[in-house]
Amino acid sequence: MPLALRDLQAAFAAHLLGADRADLTAEVFGDTIPASARLRVYRHHVFESLGAALAATFPTVQALVGADFFRGLARAFVGQSPPDQPVLAEYGAGFPAFIAGHDAARELPYLADVGRLDWALNLAFHAPAGGRLAATDLAALSADRLPSLRLALAPGTALISSPYPLDRIWAASQPDAPAGTVDLDGGAHLLVLRRPDDAAFVALSAGEVAFVTGLADGLSLEEAACRADSGFNLSVAFARLLGLGALAASQ
Amino acid sequence: MTTTRIAIASALAAALVLPAAAQAQGNMEKCYGVAKAGKNDCQTATSSCAGTSKTDAQNDAWISVPKGVCDKLVGGKTTAG
Amino acid sequence: MDPVAGIGLRAPHLAEIARERPATGFLEIHAENHLAGSPALQAVERLRADYALSIHAVGLSLGSVDGLDEAHLARVAALVRRLEPALVSDHLSWSSFGGRYFNDLLPLPYTEEALGVVVRNVQRLQERLGRQVSIENPSCYLGYAQSALSEPEFLAEVVSRSGCGLLLDVNNIAVTAHNLRLDARDWLGLPGEAITQYHLAGHAVNDADGETILIDDHGSRVSDGVWTLFADVVQRFGRRPTLIEWDTDVPQLAMLLDEAARADRLIAAEDRNAARAA
Repeated sequence: MPLALRDLQAAFAAHLLGADRADLTAEVFGDTIPASARLRVYRHHVFESLGAALAATFPTVQALVGADFFRGLARAFVGQSPPDQPVLAEYGAGFPAFIAGHDAARELPYLADVGRLDWALNLAFHAPAGGRLAATDLAALSADRLPSLRLALAPGTALISSPYPLDRIWAASQPDAPAGTVDLDGGAHLLVLRRPDDAAFVALSAGEVAFVTGLADGLSLEEAACRADSGFNLSVAFARLLGLGALAASQ
Repeated sequence: MTTTRIAIASALAAALVLPAAAQAQGNMEKCYGVAKAGKNDCQTATSSCAGTSKTDAQNDAWISVPKGVCDKLVGGKTTAG
Repeated sequence: MDPVAGIGLRAPHLAEIARERPATGFLEIHAENHLAGSPALQAVERLRADYALSIHAVGLSLGSVDGLDEAHLARVAALVRRLEPALVSDHLSWSSFGGRYFNDLLPLPYTEEALGVVVRNVQRLQERLGRQVSIENPSCYLGYAQSALSEPEFLAEVVSRSGCGLLLDVNNIAVTAHNLRLDARDWLGLPGEAITQYHLAGHAVNDADGETILIDDHGSRVSDGVWTLFADVVQRFGRRPTLIEWDTDVPQLAMLLDEAARADRLIAAEDRNAARAA
């Protein structure tokens, strides 16, 4: 009795993720190329192509650990968390947390945070370009109304904070990076942004981090400014965020 | 308005008229350009042996040490282990 | 003569195509690469005024017993509305089961049961998009003992029951025929009036423990054997828009355009042969 289509697809899906399914093998024609070898082409493709998609989304992680190590890490992740939808640019949200929990990566304690930066850049790249607040949009408001404004971050804008210097690690991971070592001491606060033709990041000061975090939490400009330390220059910080296109246009 | 609030209001208003050059953006890293787009394709992966060989180590436990630029990071794992 | 052959619009070539605007029959994009608002989609929209566009979906999973993913379908429908392509297509295969998506074009058994599933999904797709879609013959590495129909017979039934078009991938015919020990000429019996587009691509010749297996890797020039088969196909069915696919080790744009030019020359030669015969 041949497998019904639902059972065949269930068995094939299990095979792809590593299960040994004799009931599926029995359905497949084999000759000098046995059924099991024919089935392996598909399993191989699933792991290779999804691993390649993760490598494209997490290029800095891959540069840090090398292609072979990355393939092993990606293969383990794919087996545990295959995509739940077809758009590969949206696959891998759980990869940084997977890295953080993986034995093989525990000697590279910054690797998961690098993964969070790669993921934020990927999200920013795929975020809508429009809807950014410009200084001219606020020009008509009287100054006394500015402090109570609540401004959201623009699509794709994300703050990535780490106890490791992610900006220097990122720079050292680029193909054209100069030789030489990078000191792992010192953290980083990075603001990831969608720009018209790409995604990018800038480093923020501690005061800017407090201000941006406040805005992201829904505070008014005044309340967010009060979270920053005494050395914080509100004019420069606000102008910078507007210049970067980091804030969403008001509704 | 309190004096703090007046100070904040004028600081925010000043930001709106800062010339573009004064909106110092800091070092911007261009990271993720348009050439990176496109992960969905309809070809079949062939790297190594396309899985057709019995020697394809699909399910083998992978044992590998990082061999990337992580050895440039002081305090990061080196490949010696 | 205006080119009939088009090329896949791939990320490494976007800037050059936008700048140089090379003459080509049409540009093809993969739907799943443009569902989010990336700069790549903005670039495609800017090219849209100058080029005919073909949207090739790779993730609708038309052979899924689970039915179509309505959320994904809605995103594809929005893209189709936005770009108004000349053609929309996907494959005779399945990719997802039980909420998991495998990013592969997995083979179907060619049975009455599978026919019902595919026809239902294709009808739903056409209804959601409000237009005809074309279904592509896949590259296969295995066949099922339970299949009661050949692939061309199955495709002809899908066309007849759903009213869809056919996208005939000549390289996939060569790959499947070799791997499954079939005769490529069997595909020449397809209903030609349903064919809306041809695909051409290179394949890899791999060794499977001493046996040759062809892998549809889109990673090289079109093989001599596939050019020969393409001539037979054009002779049998006539000219159609023809896509050169190259997705692995993507070459310089010039080489891709050169392959398209070769397809155009072959189509023109078959046109002359047909005119002489008539």
